[in-house]
This record gives sequence, structure tokens and C-alpha cells, in this order.
Amino acid sequence: MLGPGVAWYLAVAAFLFGIGALGVLIRRNTLVVLLSLELMLNAGNLALIALSRHWHNGAGQIFALGVMAVAASEVCVGLGLVVALNRRRLSLDVDTLSELRG
Amino acid sequence: MTAMTYGAWLCLLAPLAATILITLCGTRIPRVAAAWVATTSCFVAFGGAIWAFFGVKSQPTGVGWTGYPPPANDFGRSHITTAWTWLQSGHFKVGLQLLVDPLSTVMMLIVAGVGGLIVLYSIGYMEGDDEERRYFAYIAFFVFSMLLLVEGGNLLMLLIGWGLVGLSSYLLIGFWHERPSAVQAAKKAFIMNAFGDATMALAFFILIAHTNSLSFGVLNTHLSSTATNLVALGLLGGAVAKSAQIPLQTWLPDAMEGPTPVSALIHAATMVTAGVYLIARTHVIFEQARTIELIAAGTGALTLLVAGLIALVQTDIKKVIAYSTMSQIGYMFVGVGVGAYSNGMFHLMTHAFFKALLFMTAGLAIHALAGEQDIRNMRGLGKVMPFTKWCFLAGALALVGIPPFSGFFSKDPIIASAAALGTWYGWIFWVCGIAGAFLTGLYTFRLWFLVFPGEPTPFVREHYHDHHGREGALTMLVPVGILTVLATFAGWLQFSPFWTPFTKWLAPAAPTLAAAVPSDTQELVTSVVAVLVGLGGIAVAWAIYSERRLAIPAAPFWRRLLENKFYFDWLYDRIFYGPAVAISNGLLHEFEEPVVLQTGPDIAEATFETGGLVRRLQTGLLRTYVLFLAAGAAAVVLAFLIAR
Repeated sequence: MLGPGVAWYLAVAAFLFGIGALGVLIRRNTLVVLLSLELMLNAGNLALIALSRHWHNGAGQIFALGVMAVAASEVCVGLGLVVALNRRRLSLDVDTLSELRG
Repeated sequence: MTAMTYGAWLCLLAPLAATILITLCGTRIPRVAAAWVATTSCFVAFGGAIWAFFGVKSQPTGVGWTGYPPPANDFGRSHITTAWTWLQSGHFKVGLQLLVDPLSTVMMLIVAGVGGLIVLYSIGYMEGDDEERRYFAYIAFFVFSMLLLVEGGNLLMLLIGWGLVGLSSYLLIGFWHERPSAVQAAKKAFIMNAFGDATMALAFFILIAHTNSLSFGVLNTHLSSTATNLVALGLLGGAVAKSAQIPLQTWLPDAMEGPTPVSALIHAATMVTAGVYLIARTHVIFEQARTIELIAAGTGALTLLVAGLIALVQTDIKKVIAYSTMSQIGYMFVGVGVGAYSNGMFHLMTHAFFKALLFMTAGLAIHALAGEQDIRNMRGLGKVMPFTKWCFLAGALALVGIPPFSGFFSKDPIIASAAALGTWYGWIFWVCGIAGAFLTGLYTFRLWFLVFPGEPTPFVREHYHDHHGREGALTMLVPVGILTVLATFAGWLQFSPFWTPFTKWLAPAAPTLAAAVPSDTQELVTSVVAVLVGLGGIAVAWAIYSERRLAIPAAPFWRRLLENKFYFDWLYDRIFYGPAVAISNGLLHEFEEPVVLQTGPDIAEATFETGGLVRRLQTGLLRTYVLFLAAGAAAVVLAFLIAR
């Protein structure tokens, strides 16, 4: 087998996922939050593909395709929400959108 | 299907159709239309009854079978028609059945005929009431229920009719629901009747348990003597409650809170006599439980005396007639109790005519005096209302049993049948019957002398108002006239022992017991004695209330006893109502208030406080939720790692 072992790929994926998660937690701008979400999803994809290759099993690649489809839809909805917020001249700061507070 | 069954179905369904029509139309039809729809439906039902009557008459009498009722297939003069199987549970099956036989056709004719006349009378009586349509829907529904009761082809159908007449009686007693007393009376009637319904239902359960059927034919089955006695007792309980006999009689006088035509139809002519019909219909089981049947006769004898005595001191015109009704039903119970079913049924028929007449003439008086019912204010009414006066007199003479009025032909044979038993209790019934005849003469003509003869009192002059120059609307006067004719002449249908078509007609359905057929001498002596005693009662009433030659005996104990109606209401109040209220109050203070009422607020409080704690978690900040999600996911992963 060529190239680095699967552990490296997983480490990169975990790193990417950590960056994404931190971004979602820390950043306030809605667009950046969405961006971070994409990062997390793609970290997952990377792990799926790496493991697929490691185990010689195609299912992981199919999963990755499914995740991409989900990610695309999610971006549609998310960007749609951003546009809607913008049209109403509402702030894009997620912390100001706290109407659900109990 | 034969002609007679078509007639029976038409008779049953016409009033139901009227009820549905009036109910569905609501305020979209004028009041008069509702009234005439109900009236027409009753007369259509009467037409159906006549159709069924002649259908039965055209059949051979059917002497091939001995037991009664015959098997379900058509035989002789008894026809059972089944619309469909209505209820099935395992092998237990009840069909929607009607029974057309001599007994049910007689009842159909009485119910639909008298019912039609009284509904017609109601048109005038209820005119101007705010809720006339509701009244006519109810009364048509009552006629339907009563017809279902008398035409029901098995015991369950009978019980359904039995329950529905109780319901419609409740609705009509409480028709003027803005009067608290009417509402109370309606509830009282319903509850006391429910007691009878319950004992009847228990009797039917015993029958189902033993025979797995509720057709009339199972009454012929030979059950154990305990079961037979229990079934008969249960049926008697129903009959006693519905017919207002002691000890379940107290609802009937209160039921006079309803409109007068209702009193005439339900609480005089038809529903209250259903107990008599029930005993005649199920006489097979009563004959197997002869003791219970004689208890029925004894109840009747006691009731006819007690009610006759109470009627002596009543001052409300309708209550006098109500107690008189109880007393006359007592006679009918004696009749069917000793086994003279046709005599009891014949008295039921003549009583339906003359008692409906008495109520309707009383209604004319009440109507003309703007609702006054106290007889002490009515003296001299005959001068302004001569038609009412003479019609009332015909009814009163029929009630007392003076020949040639109808009561004479129907009441005396009942007393004679009691004598025919020849046993000690037979003679007790006879003495009660004769004493009752005296009381009947006394209270009836007390009413007559207090209300009609003499010069009108200032009260009458002041309050009397006629109806366009007549004593009442034409729709009221015509039925009164017809019933006067019937009350006078209907008795001529039968003059035992010489001329007995009525008894012969009923013989296939309810043959008189041989023990209850009096000898000619007994009939003659009883008739003479009863008429003389009745005349004696009239004479005493005349001496006391008209001529004032005799003073009313000052017997304070008796007076108090009678005015308190033998303390039955007082007793029931102490035994049932008082403890029930005490228990309810105890439960209210000891259980409901501390436990039930406190639990709800406690639960609400706890929920509220928990919510107050948990709501802090809902920050509304996206990042908090994500943090919780991540923390949760991490916890799951950790858990898996540790568990491995």
C-alpha cells in the first residue's frame, strides 16, 4: 500500500473537525458558522474515505456521496436563511437571534 | 308480512316520523305546523291501529296451541313480525320485533286514539307557549315510545319502550324548566321509575341466564320456583314503579307540574297504566308465581284505599285527579292480580277515556282561570262554563261507577272477580274495592260540589276569560266532547256476565283464570253494593260540601296524616335522601376537598417549579445548544470507550 497510514488521514480529519466545531462554537457571524459546519462535514467525509480505502470497502465512499448531498441541501437552507435575515435587515450575529430563550 | 303487520308498523313509525320532522325543522316551520304534524301523526297511528285491529279480527282465533304466546311463526291471532336481528351475542339473539295480537291491538287503539285526541287538545292548550315545537316533538315521541312498549315483540323491545316512556315523561313533566318545582318533580319521577326499570332488567338477566332468550315464549319455560318468583317480582317492581303503586307512588302527584294535556295523556290515560298491561302481557310467569301475583293485587287494594283517602284532603284540582288515577290503577292491579286480565284491561280502557276527560275539563277550567288550580277559589265555575261542567259531570259519574256510565261496567266486575277467589284475601280485596267505591264517590263529588255548582265567587268573576266567546279553543272543546261520548258509552262494550265481547277478544292473549270468574250472584250483589256505596259517597259529599249539613269531621290526627300523604315523602326523605346527602357531604369535606381538589393545584405547582428550574437551560444561544450537543456526543463516545 502506498502513502501514509490511515491514522494520518484520521488525524487530519479530527483536526479539521476540531477547527470546524470550534468555529461553530466561537464565531458569531452566521456565514462563518455555516462555513465551519461545512468543514465539520468534510472532515467526516475524509474519515469515511480513508477508512473505505483502508478496509477495501466501497460503502464508505457511497456514504461520503450521501453526506455531500446533505451538505449541499443544508447550505441551501442555511444560505436561504441568511438571505432572509439580510432582507429583513436583521443582524447576522447569531447571538442576537435568541428569541427561544426560556 | 300481512296487512295487520303493515298497520302495526305504520302505527309505530308515524309518531316517530313526526318527532324527527319537528326536531329537524326547528324554527323553520311555524308553531301551528309543528302542532298539526304531531296531531296528524297520532291520527295516522290510530288509522294503523284500526288496520291492525281488523287484520287480527279477520284471523281465526287459533285454538291449536295451549301456551301463550305462540311460537314465533304466525299462528292464530298472534303475529310476530321481525324487521331484522337487532342484537346478537353468541346464541343470544334479539330481533327488532313487533307483536300484533288482540292485547296489543287494544292497547294500540287506546294509546293512538286517546293520544291523538289529547295532542289535538294540546294545540289549544299550549297556544302561545314559547316552546310549542319542543312540546309537540316530545309528545309525539311519547306516543311513539308508548306504542313501542305495547307493540314490542319481545321483552327487550318492551323494556326499550318502557325506558323511553320514562324518558319522555321526564321531559314533559319538566317541560316548564324555568320552574324549579317542575324540574324537581321530573327528576323524582325519573329516579323512581329508574328503580322499576332496574328491577325489570334484573328479571330479564335471570331469564337470559336460564333460557338464553328474551322472547315472550320463554315465559312458558318451566324455571325453578325461586327463579320464577324472582322474575315475577322484578316485573312487578317495574309495574309498581311505572303505575305509581305503593310504595313507589310518590312521584305521580308531583308529576302534575307538567302541562295538563301531559297529565291527561301520560299520567292518567296511558303510561301509568303500563304496569297493568305488563302483568297482563306476562301473565304466564305471574301464574307460575301465584304468590307474587296476589301481592300485586294486594298492592293495588292498598293503593286504591290510601290514594282515595289522600284525595279527600287535596286542594289542587289536578292532584285530586292524580290521586284518583292512582286509586283506579289500584283497581286494575286488583283485577289483573287476581287473574281477571280482561277486566283489568277493560277498566284500563274506560279509565283512559274518563280520566283523560276529567283532566282535560280540569285543563279547560285552569286555562280559563289563567292558571289557577286551587279548588277553593273555583266555586260556581259551572255558571260561566256550562259545557265544561256537564262534560266533567259525565267523567265524574263514570269514575264513581254510576250506571249507565262506563266506570260501572268496568269497575264492578273487578271487585266481583276478587270475591270469586273465595279465599280470605279475596274477601279483603272485595272489601277494599267496595270501600274504595265509597271514597271515589266522596272525593270526586267533593271536587264537583266545590268547583261547579252555585254562584261564581268573586275570584272566578275576576279571572274568568273566554276564548272568542267559547269556553276554550275549538281544538280543546272537540276532543273533550268526543271523550265525553266515549266516557259515557264505552262501557256498553261489555256487561258481564251477559255480554262479554271484550273478554272474548282478549281470551287468546290473556284468558281469565277460572278461579277469578265470579258467579252471576256475585256479579249482581257486587254491582248493587258498589253502586249504592258510590251513591252513598256522593250523598255524603253533597251533605258536606253542598248543603253543609254535615261538618267535616275534626279528626286532627287523620287530617294531618292525610295532608302529609301518609308520610311517605317524609319517610323517603329520612331513609334515602337524608343519608345520601350526609354521605355526599362527608365525602365532600373529608375526601374531595382535601384530596381531589388539592391534588390538581399541587401537581400544577410542582410542574411550574420544575419548569422554572429547567428553563435556564434554554438560553436561545445557538452555541450553547451546539456545546450541549458536542458534550453529549463526547459523553456517548466516552461511554463506549469505557464500556469496552
